[in-house]
Amino acid sequence: MAFLDWLTQGDDAQAQAAKLASAQRQAGILEAVQSGRVSPGVRKRLEGARSGALPWLATLTPAELLLTRSHGIRPIASVSATCWLHYGWSWTEGHAQGWETALRRLRAEAKVAGANAILDVKMRTIALDVENSMDFTLTGTAVKVEGLPPSSDPIVATVPALEFIKLVEADVVPTGIAIGAHYEWMTDWRNSTNLAWMGNIECRALSRLWETVRQRAHFQLRQSAASQGNGVLAHVNFSQMFERGEGNETKQYLARHIVVATTVDARRGVPIPHGIRMVVDMHAGKTPLTGTTRHHQSYVSNDAEGAI
Amino acid sequence: MSSQIPAHAQERLKGLRSSAHSSGVFTSDFSVNEFLLVRKAGFEPIGLCVGTCVYHVGIQYGSWKKNEELQVLSKAMYHARELAMTRMRAEATAMNADGIVGVKLTIKRLEWDENLLEFIAIGTGVVHGDGHKGFRAHDGGPFTSDLSGQDFWSLLHSGYRPVEMVMGSCVYHVAHRGVFASIGQTMRNVELENFTSAMYEAREIAIERMQHEAAAAKAEGVVGVDMHEGNHGWQTHVIEFFAIGTAVLPMDQEIAPEKIADPIMVLSVND
Repeated sequence: MAFLDWLTQGDDAQAQAAKLASAQRQAGILEAVQSGRVSPGVRKRLEGARSGALPWLATLTPAELLLTRSHGIRPIASVSATCWLHYGWSWTEGHAQGWETALRRLRAEAKVAGANAILDVKMRTIALDVENSMDFTLTGTAVKVEGLPPSSDPIVATVPALEFIKLVEADVVPTGIAIGAHYEWMTDWRNSTNLAWMGNIECRALSRLWETVRQRAHFQLRQSAASQGNGVLAHVNFSQMFERGEGNETKQYLARHIVVATTVDARRGVPIPHGIRMVVDMHAGKTPLTGTTRHHQSYVSNDAEGAI
Repeated sequence: MSSQIPAHAQERLKGLRSSAHSSGVFTSDFSVNEFLLVRKAGFEPIGLCVGTCVYHVGIQYGSWKKNEELQVLSKAMYHARELAMTRMRAEATAMNADGIVGVKLTIKRLEWDENLLEFIAIGTGVVHGDGHKGFRAHDGGPFTSDLSGQDFWSLLHSGYRPVEMVMGSCVYHVAHRGVFASIGQTMRNVELENFTSAMYEAREIAIERMQHEAAAAKAEGVVGVDMHEGNHGWQTHVIEFFAIGTAVLPMDQEIAPEKIADPIMVLSVND
């Protein structure tokens, strides 16, 4: 009767206990999400890693471990956060809201772990098409800088450890993620986008729509960055434009633009304290001397190189 | 220990935020390495510069049996890029940048209208850290360049500076072959000479135009020249040849070749 095993599974005491534990864990997570706290299970794991009672966990490669150790940085634990958001109001602005909620939760975990920074923060989205919603997930490695007290406001570095050390040596601290998102509808009452038979001519109405939407999104990006540092690096630029309206109907256009970037707190005019020497790599193919992995897969964009 | 970490960075890692930054927030799409190298070269990024243009391209058909440039299309590709680039440069001028590094120029077809093309130019505006104005273009405005931060550092260390991103475009119709010519050539390997010559002419026109732009910018040469061949949704037999590169000039104080450090040769064994 293997087929009906699942019906009777609940009978033995061990399975009952496991069910109860899962229910308790889920209740704990739900309660934590609603009240903006770290759930008891996660708290236990992070506090264990913080005190050294549990082994540390790090996404660092052995080479990165070497570098962090030589710079007095010690891994504590993996931290992560998710916010699965339904776009009731606006798809575009939902992206800013989703990432910001996830960021707040990630920082809370890092604080419990007694960290100064979260390195190697990756932005993830599961390709699960649940109508009008998307998950905003962040993962990273909480680290402690030897000789410094735990931070009340741990920084979120979307760069791997190697990049982090290069930046910090040049007095640039990657502090977090800034998001700018804007959309706008334009109704073409005067049919000015209909340029058939017009020859070479700029479509000014659409150019203007693009310029406005981009500029607003970038303005928001700067505002979102201003509380975290004095600059942003490495944008993800994501934009789309749609037309609505059949045949002779009045056309409507939707343009949306999302920018996501790493914020930095940079002391101006401090170059990296190392001389730079040119190297010719005799390796065939792509040189392994560079190469950091992509740090997001949430947007299709044209960035070829490494961290966001 | 943490002694390699500068004091300001240590403060931030303790959770202390620096007081309001007087200089405002800079934006740039630099990667970490690009950012560090541009700063090492003595420049600071100040803001991302974007220029956009949605363009309606006129209609032109090539005559079936003729190799010829499709001037309406060539002009459209030129004019639209020019508009996007000019708007990007205007943003840079407005923020008082000395130049724009890492310009990316992209063309996208808008899905609902086959004659609408979207052109976007994006780059990072930079200023010289010590306020040296000698890096500006010949007209006193910001220089433009499609070089990455890495290329920018290398170019300055080779004794040159970027002046202007130059380009040349030629949209060309390649003649169809006559039926009789095709029949006569079955079972033989022959060069399709008119195709070959079409490619030659179109490419030459594009390169000449780019060279002409470089001359107008009073440059000595053009680095990083790249040739693109594309068909932006036109009928078959129509190709665009597009040449792009960065026009350069020697710096005020030219670096003697023997002063340029020899690169180290390495063989990376990890992969």
